[in-house]
Amino acid sequence: MKRLLFLILAAFPALPLLAATDDEVAARKVVQELAGAFANDGFKLRDGNWTGAIQSKDSLLIQVNLYAGNQYWFSVGATAPAKKMLVTVFDETGKPVEVNSYQNGSTAAAGFSPESSGPYYVRIQEVEGEPASFCLIYSYK
Amino acid sequence: MVFGLNAGAAGLSKDDLAKSVKLDSLSVPTAGELFAALNKVAKPNWQQQYRKPIPTAFTSRPQIALNLGGLIADGYIAVQAEDSQQVKNIGKDIVALAKTLGVSENVLRRGKCISDFAENNEWSALKEELEATQNEVKQAMEEQHDEELVTLVTLGGWIRGTEVVSAWISENYQPAAAKLLRQPAILAFLRGKLLALPEKAKNDPLVHDIESKLGGIEKLLSFPADKAPTLEEVKALNAAANDLVKEISTKQ
Repeated sequence: MKRLLFLILAAFPALPLLAATDDEVAARKVVQELAGAFANDGFKLRDGNWTGAIQSKDSLLIQVNLYAGNQYWFSVGATAPAKKMLVTVFDETGKPVEVNSYQNGSTAAAGFSPESSGPYYVRIQEVEGEPASFCLIYSYK
Repeated sequence: MVFGLNAGAAGLSKDDLAKSVKLDSLSVPTAGELFAALNKVAKPNWQQQYRKPIPTAFTSRPQIALNLGGLIADGYIAVQAEDSQQVKNIGKDIVALAKTLGVSENVLRRGKCISDFAENNEWSALKEELEATQNEVKQAMEEQHDEELVTLVTLGGWIRGTEVVSAWISENYQPAAAKLLRQPAILAFLRGKLLALPEKAKNDPLVHDIESKLGGIEKLLSFPADKAPTLEEVKALNAAANDLVKEISTKQ
């Protein structure tokens, strides 16, 4: 019974603070499938997400605040018009951070463990494709 | 499908970094993330970080929001301690406080889930459930046009999390743990949100007082990445955070 309750809750997570479009909801479904793989490895999924529209060849940047010693995966999923997405992480000086990177069509992810606590910047890029909706989420352990 | 190491990108300018998106729901880490990081460098006795139950009959909506955030952080502490009764007690307090804001319908459901997960010792699920509960509260606040309260929930949780971790480090000082307290951008973000609050919320005596004290805390958290704060600096941070937690949880 409790397991069933958990599954129901997993299927209906708390709504994001702003109403999402149907395309953004679709992008979230795409990325949640990818993040599920990290959850199987003990990563906790943050409940929040960043959704919106992205143009071809465009890049968008978000600030996150991370703790040394934790491991993180940043995952992005985009709707079908996107053919290739990319995730890159930068430190607070703007220098790229070495990450484990994953790329598969309209999904991509970057994983790393910061050496120092503080702000980092996650960049998502639509490398190939047409304008699309995206969703970025992150997991930690 | 490609897996590999990637660090070949060109760097970003200060202007790029300044223009980055900052979101309450992703840019501010949960107390659970901070506690997970502390667990990597030490084995804290989390039960020692419990506090006495706080009142749940506040009349000021900003104060209720701040305390809701603090209670969510208390929930993470109880989960770290794997103390199912404490988790259930805090879940009840969260629901009681949420009721006073009139946002309890969905939160009630979450409160029941927190209790059920605690009953079954599902600690991993509880960490995600606590954040989902917090977001449920924030969603309800937005629907009731109480957007300004969302920032206060986040701030209340951040202050309580910082108080707890700085208290532990003050009593068990080690440089690696102290470096976790470096969080200047979080406070800059939250202070910016406070300054952007509507005049009515900004002029609430408690909110006004907290904002005036956050500047001092921001200085204590803004040390270089390669330097650990001294024991005295950690104690000063803990005293400041403790002062705010007491002020927030004291019935006015």
